[in-house]
Amino acid sequence: MLLTGCAPLNVREVTRNQTRRKFLTASGVAAGLAISGALPGIGTSNASTVEVDRLRDYPFRLGIASGDPLPDSVVLWTRLAPHPLDPFGGVNDRPVAVVWQVAEDERFRRVVRTGVEIARRESSHSVHVDVRGLRPWRHYYYRFIVGGHISPVGRTRTAPAPRQALSGMTFAFASCQAWWEGFYTAYRDMAAKDHDVVLHLGDYIYEYGVGADSGVRRQPVPVELTRETMTLDEYRGRYALYKTDPDLQAAHAAAPWVVTVDDHEVENNWAGPISENNAPREEFLVRMANAFRAWYEHTPVRLAQAPNGPGIQLYRRFQYGDLVRFNLLDTRQYRDDQAGGDGEKPPNPGSLDPKRSITGAAQEKWLLDGMAERSARWEVLAHQTAIAQLDVKAGPDMVVPMDTWDGYVASRKRILGGARERGVRNLVSIAGDLHRSVASELREDYAASTPVVGTEFVGTSVTSGRDGMDHDQIGRTILAENPHVKFHNFQRGYVRCEVNAAQWVADYRVADRVTVADGTVSSRSKLIVEDGVPAIQVR
Amino acid sequence: MWVLALTATMLAATAPVTISVNPEKVQVVGLPCMPGSLKVGMTNTGTTDRYADLELSAPSPVVADRKIISTWLPAWDPDHTVTTPVGVTVPRTAKPGTYSLTLSVDRTRRTVPVEVLPLPPKDNLVLGEQASASSTHGSFRTCGAVDGDADSANWSTRTGWNDATRAVFPDEYSVSLIAPSAIGRVELQTLDSARYPAAQNGLRDWDVQVRVAGSWVTVDQVRGNAVGRVKSVFPAVQADAVRIVALDSNDHAYSRIVELEAYAR
Repeated sequence: MLLTGCAPLNVREVTRNQTRRKFLTASGVAAGLAISGALPGIGTSNASTVEVDRLRDYPFRLGIASGDPLPDSVVLWTRLAPHPLDPFGGVNDRPVAVVWQVAEDERFRRVVRTGVEIARRESSHSVHVDVRGLRPWRHYYYRFIVGGHISPVGRTRTAPAPRQALSGMTFAFASCQAWWEGFYTAYRDMAAKDHDVVLHLGDYIYEYGVGADSGVRRQPVPVELTRETMTLDEYRGRYALYKTDPDLQAAHAAAPWVVTVDDHEVENNWAGPISENNAPREEFLVRMANAFRAWYEHTPVRLAQAPNGPGIQLYRRFQYGDLVRFNLLDTRQYRDDQAGGDGEKPPNPGSLDPKRSITGAAQEKWLLDGMAERSARWEVLAHQTAIAQLDVKAGPDMVVPMDTWDGYVASRKRILGGARERGVRNLVSIAGDLHRSVASELREDYAASTPVVGTEFVGTSVTSGRDGMDHDQIGRTILAENPHVKFHNFQRGYVRCEVNAAQWVADYRVADRVTVADGTVSSRSKLIVEDGVPAIQVR
Repeated sequence: MWVLALTATMLAATAPVTISVNPEKVQVVGLPCMPGSLKVGMTNTGTTDRYADLELSAPSPVVADRKIISTWLPAWDPDHTVTTPVGVTVPRTAKPGTYSLTLSVDRTRRTVPVEVLPLPPKDNLVLGEQASASSTHGSFRTCGAVDGDADSANWSTRTGWNDATRAVFPDEYSVSLIAPSAIGRVELQTLDSARYPAAQNGLRDWDVQVRVAGSWVTVDQVRGNAVGRVKSVFPAVQADAVRIVALDSNDHAYSRIVELEAYAR
């Protein structure tokens, strides 16, 4: 574990001068300062005073967000960027005071929590507020205020109380949103619907340049955004570009998000300190540190998820009463390098090696120990890429992707087998990465045709791969060669899940087109899992 | 403006950063795709890891392709230098002479001389002119196929263009001229070296297009290519841009152009 304790900013005294009081009164905010903790490795500003810049231009152009809901807490996020694509969002090097408010009502008549965070240049003027003391399983509204500028209002929801009997919940999951390959039509649909939480399973940005005119978006961008991201400023710029999208902003404002990373937040198919093209290890560690830092700055997560150089604590749990436990996994940082040189290969000594792991030993133990608690009816693995075997070659020969769990067969056996041994009632995997929808029944050992122990719902990309179609050739091959695959679709979209004690319903929402701005989203299929029966029914 | 006074105890001494530059002097001509280039190194010479922001300030007419380099700087022993390439261009109208580029991090400053050379005469109309592409792989620069280096031996280290979308076609690579000019011949050098022969890794199928009065006109179609250099000769037209629409490569993975050239005849 690379995380160390984070020394809080040592603030001995805050002078509450007259001007400030006037400002806070005008904003309707009670006095009281909450200063965010400093990050490891991040120097604080050289100024001995915090000047509170009023910012002439509207600073909330990257939207707002909330995330990582607990029964008494959510994290609120924004980043001040009046000119999002300029270095540091066009904010100068002075710290900026950001007032935040949490209310029980949309009009902020019943404000229940409020405070001030200082947005600093070394954090690209992002703020993370870990709001505590909230009540479980209820909606709250939040907003930020800087000078005369008021942010949009976001809606969020805390998690239920521990062990609370929950009759049902609704959530969405999404992944893979290459900027230049489409519009975020899926998020427009997601934002218009009610979700208790949204899970983002990675590829929120891509490291690749977006092209001089953003591909299908036909939006010219500064040269910095046409390069592959290596430095912190480049990763920051890429998040800023993606987050200017109004549909993405709306989806963040509509529900709390729980976010992990896949490969493209750093680099295609990276594996721990090993880069795609075997860049020198030292060089790649610096790149990882830059990538993780920018991810943290743009994601509503707690300080526990702040990186310490090239290490970051991403795997964590979210409990929804006695109904659902989300185990958010990190299958990039601790994995062994892809077997057989990556790509798609027949099963080989590397992919079958019992010593290799996609989670790393510590995370595997954490996951299995958690499963032993049998804390919820639906035990969910929320993670990056498919666990199910996916033979992509027609005919008797088998060829499988080396980047999915097919390249780490031992992890599949240990974790699926571990769930069975621990008496997990309903094991469900949700993932992304493939840019296609694939719903499968999970077996510990496909070759030996061991019993089905769980189900898997891989969601398609939001945009990556452009419009797609109902089935492409690879999809037809996957359906023909893998009898455990019960559903496939190659359009873009997201998955909306409604879960109660009796059943899990996965609604695959797909866009007719993403290469135009006005595509429409509809339900392609609803897939159902009954409680206690690890099988997928297609309705 | 109002001020919150904080105590100075919050100030931790930040580790010192040194700047290195290679080469120490940059030469450049007034063509958009023929940037002068330098590598800027930042080294943390202290004992604690830190992040640092290096600001680049380029007084007119010098234009740097980035304004800032922010990066994590580990305090490893031995010291580790984080190196970032910087491209420097000047407008076509820039007067030859010596200018400067200033780099600063914390209180350290470094000035790099930038020598602007006169525009060279050229037969290859697209040499150094503005290139754009449907996508460009991170190890390459979009300008890499109009930089005058057609040598496949320098592929990916110093020159060439490679798209970023593996196994997805078509890919497009285009070069714009500042004014219409007669174009009657386009030559394309695809990757063709002992290690990467064209028959295995080179561009296989493509259309050659020129832009005439705002519309793209296909002047040649190359199919089934297996060699390095392909000439497309056609009746000269007045055009202000050249475009390659890459339809497939011999490994069906990436479009690879080492150099694209266009001539009057």
